Amino acid sequence: MSKVTKRFIFFFSIGILLIAVIVTYNIWNQHHEDIQNAEARSMTAVQLYKSLSEGSEEIKSILINQVINVSGEINQVIKNQKGQQVILLKTGTSGGSVNCTMEEEVMNIKEGDVVILKGVCIGYISGDPEIDLPGDVFLIRCYRSS
Amino acid sequence: MFKSVFLLFVLVAAFNNNTHGQIFYTKNGSISFFSKTIVEDIDAKNNQVISVINFQTGTIQFSLLNNGFRFPKAKMEEDFKANYMETDKYPRSTFKGVISDISNVNFSKDDAYKVNVKGSLSIHGVTKEIEVPGVIIVKNGTISAQTEFNVLVEDYKISVPSIVSNKIARSIQIIVNCHYEKK
Repeated sequence: MSKVTKRFIFFFSIGILLIAVIVTYNIWNQHHEDIQNAEARSMTAVQLYKSLSEGSEEIKSILINQVINVSGEINQVIKNQKGQQVILLKTGTSGGSVNCTMEEEVMNIKEGDVVILKGVCIGYISGDPEIDLPGDVFLIRCYRSS
Repeated sequence: MFKSVFLLFVLVAAFNNNTHGQIFYTKNGSISFFSKTIVEDIDAKNNQVISVINFQTGTIQFSLLNNGFRFPKAKMEEDFKANYMETDKYPRSTFKGVISDISNVNFSKDDAYKVNVKGSLSIHGVTKEIEVPGVIIVKNGTISAQTEFNVLVEDYKISVPSIVSNKIARSIQIIVNCHYEKK
């Protein structure tokens, strides 16, 4: 094998290795999905709650892990223990909410206001029927939608 | 007669105001986990934890959606959901147990009370009995619960491919921190 061929193989291998490192680095450090600009399915808080608390497994699989535009009347605005704003939307089930953890705080909102929130639906957790505590549907990474 | 009725009313009211025998809950509790290796530290948080404590019976339960854990990196989150926790197949993790020494907690006195919690932890379709120390914090009439403990990845049949095994610790630290409101 000539010196030129050896050099070519050497630099070619280094090049391939560099590309592999860059690709791996980019995959490992890719950003989270841009929720604000993502395509979303639109539905009301009442529809979403009913679909996930009573719907079939097929309906649940369509909605879970998807970006949803959920509209509804605010039941309560609270802060979680990390200081994030959490907006609870009415669902027609007393004590059961669409529980939206906000990415950015929404100012000037109050109980009774009707809002549209956009976030990732992670599913429904049933509460405890023994103590009459209904479950919630949870959305994370939420923003106010226009 | 009136005095007796009034006294009875006061006693009933006092009993109702006593947190002992009451139920507390949260739907936005926090559970995070931490994996530390030489190559990488991984810290993920879930702030959508439903938890209920019954101070009369000492029972305590937690339930969370595994796909609610948030990671600093998107790829970590994707791998956690799809490859390690298989969240489509095992969407929830739960704990149901009993605070064995609940009688040591004085709800009328602000303090941090050390307790022991024993129960069943279900992760990735595997249920194991665990016993962990915890702290119940009583402050200005509010209740918080905190605990930290470790679980072994292999105990819950979570398989980590050898190519990333140096990035994920075999023992994962779980940190629980929930603030409760009265039911």
